[in-house]
Amino acid sequence: MPTTIKANLIIQDPIGLHARPAGQIVKLVKESGLEVRIGKVGEELVRANSPLRMMALKAKTGQELVVEIDTEDQALADSIIHQIQDFIKG
Amino acid sequence: MTLESGTVLTGLGVGLKAVVAEVLRIRPHQDLPSAAKHLGDFQKEVEALRAAISNVAVGLDELALRAGGTSAEILEALKMMLEDEELFEAANLQIEAGWNAATAIDLAVDEFGELFAGDEAFEERLVDLKDLAKRVAADIFGISLGLEIPTQGSFVIVGDDFSPADTAQFTKAVVGVITIKGGPTSHTAIICRSRSIPAVVSCAGAKNLLDGQLVLVDPVGDRVVVDGKDSQATTAISFVPKSLDPIIPVRANIGSLEDAIAAAASSASGVGLFRTELLYLSEKYQPTREKQTQSYTEILKAAPEGPIVVRTIDAGSDKPVPFLEMPQEENPALGIRGFRLIQNHKDFIIDQLASLESARKESGREVWVMAPMISTTQEALEFAELARAHGGYKVGIMVETPSIAMTIKDLEGQLDFISVGTNDLSQYLFAADRMNAGLGALMNPWQPALIRILEKIASESAEVGISSGVCGESASDPAFAIVLAGLGFQSLSASKSQVGAVRNALSAVSLKQARGVAQLALAQTSAEAAKAVVLEELSSL
Repeated sequence: MPTTIKANLIIQDPIGLHARPAGQIVKLVKESGLEVRIGKVGEELVRANSPLRMMALKAKTGQELVVEIDTEDQALADSIIHQIQDFIKG
Repeated sequence: MTLESGTVLTGLGVGLKAVVAEVLRIRPHQDLPSAAKHLGDFQKEVEALRAAISNVAVGLDELALRAGGTSAEILEALKMMLEDEELFEAANLQIEAGWNAATAIDLAVDEFGELFAGDEAFEERLVDLKDLAKRVAADIFGISLGLEIPTQGSFVIVGDDFSPADTAQFTKAVVGVITIKGGPTSHTAIICRSRSIPAVVSCAGAKNLLDGQLVLVDPVGDRVVVDGKDSQATTAISFVPKSLDPIIPVRANIGSLEDAIAAAASSASGVGLFRTELLYLSEKYQPTREKQTQSYTEILKAAPEGPIVVRTIDAGSDKPVPFLEMPQEENPALGIRGFRLIQNHKDFIIDQLASLESARKESGREVWVMAPMISTTQEALEFAELARAHGGYKVGIMVETPSIAMTIKDLEGQLDFISVGTNDLSQYLFAADRMNAGLGALMNPWQPALIRILEKIASESAEVGISSGVCGESASDPAFAIVLAGLGFQSLSASKSQVGAVRNALSAVSLKQARGVAQLALAQTSAEAAKAVVLEELSSL
């Protein structure tokens, strides 16, 4: 049973979670081979390998996002979270 | 059939410069088949969809590689959206429901579209996604979309005819254009003229040209020469101005503020045709008089020095104005268009006349107003009365129907001026749809019947003291402009890129010489002979 590592991030990109950052996240997630979920706080999360689902969150600038990564490797998870934070900086 | 070196293909030339480059054939793309069910082989459809998505993705990669920078990042994001497994799964459900692969991907995109609805930034992406779905469908059916014109190199592109959507894709690698169909007033011809791309249209023999073949596009010679050299190009008669002013004033055609500003930078003496419909075609609701006045004032103020001839709205069911009801018609060119709109939209025409009057006063410019598509003396009088009741401008009509051309003398004392639209006059005189690419040769302004009716219009309007001008495409041809001046027209209006060339030609001859040239043209029995004899005479002057 893999553990899940969670983090909360704030979108700083002026257009929100749009196509480009969504694409970058997907690329990262696919390369990692891990199950990663993303969504708004308190709402159902979507799989982060689907750019369309992530865009359909319609997450805007300033919105807090939850990221869940199924892994026991804290260092790897931190690195992924760090990069996602970078992608949504705008 | 392969064309031998030196073969001459005749057509109608557009432009004055010649060019030698290799042929690139553009085949028309077919329409995509409409939504349909598959024949029951679920697995086959799924595989077809997977393969098509992968092909389109590879295409996006290639585009990204060529584009680089931000465009590449956007293309990469698009590719990821296309390859989204959830999109694929949604499409699979549609295939399970019986839809074929092409329909399924389109429906799946629509499903995501609903999720994006109401968010502007994402709705734009939806447009991209819809386009991707179209590309996937095209790949499934083996249909090529778009022109795929290279951005590098130099090509003479050859096709049946090109639509506005096609010409918008012309890159700077397009150095020459040949159309098999299409005439001198076709969209292709107009675009090539305005962008100074040498072209030969209505060139039936071009259907046998092959990709990679070198050709000389020789618009002045109205021909294409296989393996031709630059040195074989027919030299345009170089008109050396002998006087400062042309024998009759040369005005510019405009349709927008940008045009007015560009025309003011040319040597045009005023505006001979201000097409007003462009101000309305994109409006959902009828603009208020204040808004119309403001637009007109801006344009009048920016226009080149001299009188400004404004044409009231020239719209019809083929060019509908969103806020005016224009039911579909069987033959829009012969339908309720131009001044005929007064039947149902008199208020709109009055609004336009009143706004023009306010703009005239505000700008302090000399304004002439004319109505298009007038067929009878009664219509001309109705317009004149209406226009005079609403403004202090000069009042006239367009002459573009053979019927009004037959009754010019009845207009004595009623109008200040007339202006001939040669494109529509040709269309109605020859009963030849000007949009029909196969009838280009009948739209040739050198046709004897057109030249003779023009002579009648010019001489009869002079007889009854009405000022006459020409604002059709034909007035943009320097040699034909000399014929028009010789026939007795008192002003011409050319597309802004041609004003200088027409002015030069009309400054190189005397009125007496122009009259002699016009008489020669009137005596010919074919368009080819009329043009040839005039060019020969002009080069000997």
